[in-house]
Amino acid sequence: MLRYTLRRLLGAVPTLLVIVTLAFLLLHAAPGGPFDSEKRILPAIQQSIEAKYHLDEPLWRQYLRYLGDLARGDLGPSFQYRSTSVNEIIAQGLPVDATIGLTALALALLIGGAVGINAALHRGTRWDYGSMAVAVAGISTPVFVVAPLLILVFAIKLHWLPAGDWVRGSPSHLLLPAVALALPYTAYVARIMRAGTIDVLNSAFIRSARAKGLPLRLVIWRHALPPTLTPLVSFIGPAIAGLLTGSIVVESVFGLPGIGRYFITAALNRDYTLVIGITVLYGALIILCNLAADLCYAWIDPRVRLQ
Amino acid sequence: MTAGRRWLLSACAACLIAGCGSIDVPASSPAPAAAAATAAAASITVGTALADQQVLARGLDDTPRSLDPLLANDVPGQRVADDLFEGLTRAGIDGRAVPGVASSWESSADGRTWVFHLRPDARWSNGAPVTAADFVYAWRREVDPKTGAQNAEGLAPIENALDIASGRKPPATLGVEALDARTLRVHLNAPTPYLLDLLALQYLYPVYEPAIRQYADAWVRPQHMVCNGAFVLSEDVIGSRITLAKNPQYWDAAQVRLARVIYYVLPSRADQAARYLADELDWTDSFAANQRSWLKSTLGEQVVNSPYFGAYFLGMNFQLPPFKDNLALRQALVLALDREPLVRYMRQGMYQPAYGWMPPLPGYELPPPDWQSLGDEARHALARRLYAQAGYSTQHPLRVTLYTSIQDGDSRHFFEAITASWFSVLGAKVQLYEEEFKVLAQERNLHKLPLFFDAWIGDYPDPYTFMQIRYSGNGNNNAVYSNPEFDRLIDAAGQEPDNAKRYRLFEQAERLLSDDAAYIPLYFYATRHLVKPYLHGWQSNVMDRNLSRYMYLLEHQQR
Repeated sequence: MLRYTLRRLLGAVPTLLVIVTLAFLLLHAAPGGPFDSEKRILPAIQQSIEAKYHLDEPLWRQYLRYLGDLARGDLGPSFQYRSTSVNEIIAQGLPVDATIGLTALALALLIGGAVGINAALHRGTRWDYGSMAVAVAGISTPVFVVAPLLILVFAIKLHWLPAGDWVRGSPSHLLLPAVALALPYTAYVARIMRAGTIDVLNSAFIRSARAKGLPLRLVIWRHALPPTLTPLVSFIGPAIAGLLTGSIVVESVFGLPGIGRYFITAALNRDYTLVIGITVLYGALIILCNLAADLCYAWIDPRVRLQ
Repeated sequence: MTAGRRWLLSACAACLIAGCGSIDVPASSPAPAAAAATAAAASITVGTALADQQVLARGLDDTPRSLDPLLANDVPGQRVADDLFEGLTRAGIDGRAVPGVASSWESSADGRTWVFHLRPDARWSNGAPVTAADFVYAWRREVDPKTGAQNAEGLAPIENALDIASGRKPPATLGVEALDARTLRVHLNAPTPYLLDLLALQYLYPVYEPAIRQYADAWVRPQHMVCNGAFVLSEDVIGSRITLAKNPQYWDAAQVRLARVIYYVLPSRADQAARYLADELDWTDSFAANQRSWLKSTLGEQVVNSPYFGAYFLGMNFQLPPFKDNLALRQALVLALDREPLVRYMRQGMYQPAYGWMPPLPGYELPPPDWQSLGDEARHALARRLYAQAGYSTQHPLRVTLYTSIQDGDSRHFFEAITASWFSVLGAKVQLYEEEFKVLAQERNLHKLPLFFDAWIGDYPDPYTFMQIRYSGNGNNNAVYSNPEFDRLIDAAGQEPDNAKRYRLFEQAERLLSDDAAYIPLYFYATRHLVKPYLHGWQSNVMDRNLSRYMYLLEHQQR
């Protein structure tokens, strides 16, 4: 197991290198630079800014410099937000996204899981069709519709919850963004759990468990649940990476200081270091979460052997 | 009203009268007789006394690019810098310069040498006095190419500033000297009648050298920042929130009523409106144009529009076909547009249709061009004649691409309406091409585009801020317009100390722009804010500078 984990982690290095290289090249190939604006800058000042950010060096040198800094864990200064480093932006934003993302995930697993299993157990009934219809609606309704609706109802009309802002440790500021973010995930989890549970309930070992007279609750908890988690784990792995790096829509609608929005704004602003920084972070998280998912398989399903 | 509440009200009223000077209370402040004014739809009851909680929540259109005033080259950065720092002068409640750190000044007869006398009680937030040397340091730092300040060119009127910013002279040669701790002498290249307004801009604010020496870039962090304005920085959550607290060291702190100002960064205008409607913002930086009529019907007087010192226009490249040496074609495109309906229907009537280059400015009076008074039919006919004169016809129509930046659907419809007008009036086939803003900006600067969207917002209320960008060789002369007579008029205006005469020279210059069809005017900008009726101490102004130091909240009940 340990050797497997180490091998996978080592294997992540070339993957990340490819990500960095591609992001670096694509950004530099894109027309327009970080310091192009509506106002022209005096040439000497432009040069001085470019020298400060090493943009005057040949591309290969900038690339090597970036790799060197990256190896030391330094993601460089942000070009757009002068006097701020990419590390600072991530250090400030990641905990916010993680809090909202993990809360949303917990909501999705609890509610989606319960709804999915319930639907499977009452397969073909009104309850099943009803909950699956809601799930499909949940998957198909974009967050940019749900989030403003939540604000309209709970903040503007009812004045129960704040329409935005982030206050660390304040559940009222967490609730609406987490619910908005959780909705599509809840729906996915419900569908996956339903399908998985139906599969398992039809299998021979469940029939034998029931035949030997085990009560239904025990059959589900002890025998049916673990195998249904396998497809869920493969969904959750990458989902966590996505949730941790934040949602562009939820962050901007609620005015949250996460990093998700920079996937768009930093690219538009040609903030090279910030784009590459969060892309690498996202890539690393995906790799880690997939590894964790694979380790979970082995733990859930004894038939899986990690080589 | 209960007895307790009445006591509170009178106590606050007393403090309003006793504690605060006269300049800040606007004439519109409700008279005590009208004890409670109710805003129509939002059911907000506003009293006459100061609210207990003087905490202002302001929307901000974007994350400031830097909280270092010398590096802030964006409007959000300027707004925050205006609250944290104070220059020799500062923007008054009406946007025009009033004395700031300097309490008085005099200028030489030729208007080229100015001496500023600093207030003895002006202090940094750490208690140190603000000295003339602080200004010398800040201004040298601004023009030093090493700083990489994008606004360095703004100091151009000061002797040697451009040479220093271009790397030809050392920063120490800048025409500014500290005669003693409280006297600053400034040497100018030419009389600069707008100097006092210029000095109220963030890139001429003083900065505290020891903090910058000690912390370098990190000096703008809340724990390190030393500033000299009405507020200090207490929290900076990048991309979300900037919290300011009243600065007890500020020389005029007695006049500052707000205890805290919280700027919420909300790049989406619809989100700002939502937060405002949820009573979480007292003031928005803007609102979406397409929400205007709905907001107006919901919020009434809380929706505030006023003229803003900015122009929205299309540029035609004077060095590229089809516009090069083609006055008739340029005029045809200018004349073919029906600006009134375009602005009324495609921009929700929020802006003022433009027929000239300069947005309205008091004292500057340019008679409108002759074609403005023509009826639509006559104007279209003239445009068609010019179009034919330029060699175009139905068989051989003009084919050109109009480059714009990627914008919201509203702006796209606006541009579509423009190209449709050209097609219906002239038969010209103008194609729209949307690019990322950074790409458009770069290609415009490199003069690669024949026809493009452009805009300009004046830095200070003076025609020069607009006129300079049509000067031959100016870095922002995206159209590569060049007319020696125009340059001569601008040069003459630069040497003219009498403002009235200067304005006449600028008017002549602008007439040349119009005769040359140097640009296609569209409209002049407007400020757009949502403002709670209990927020007082501000005025709409053309520069859209609204310092929190003047603002205060009246007692109120919402919902």
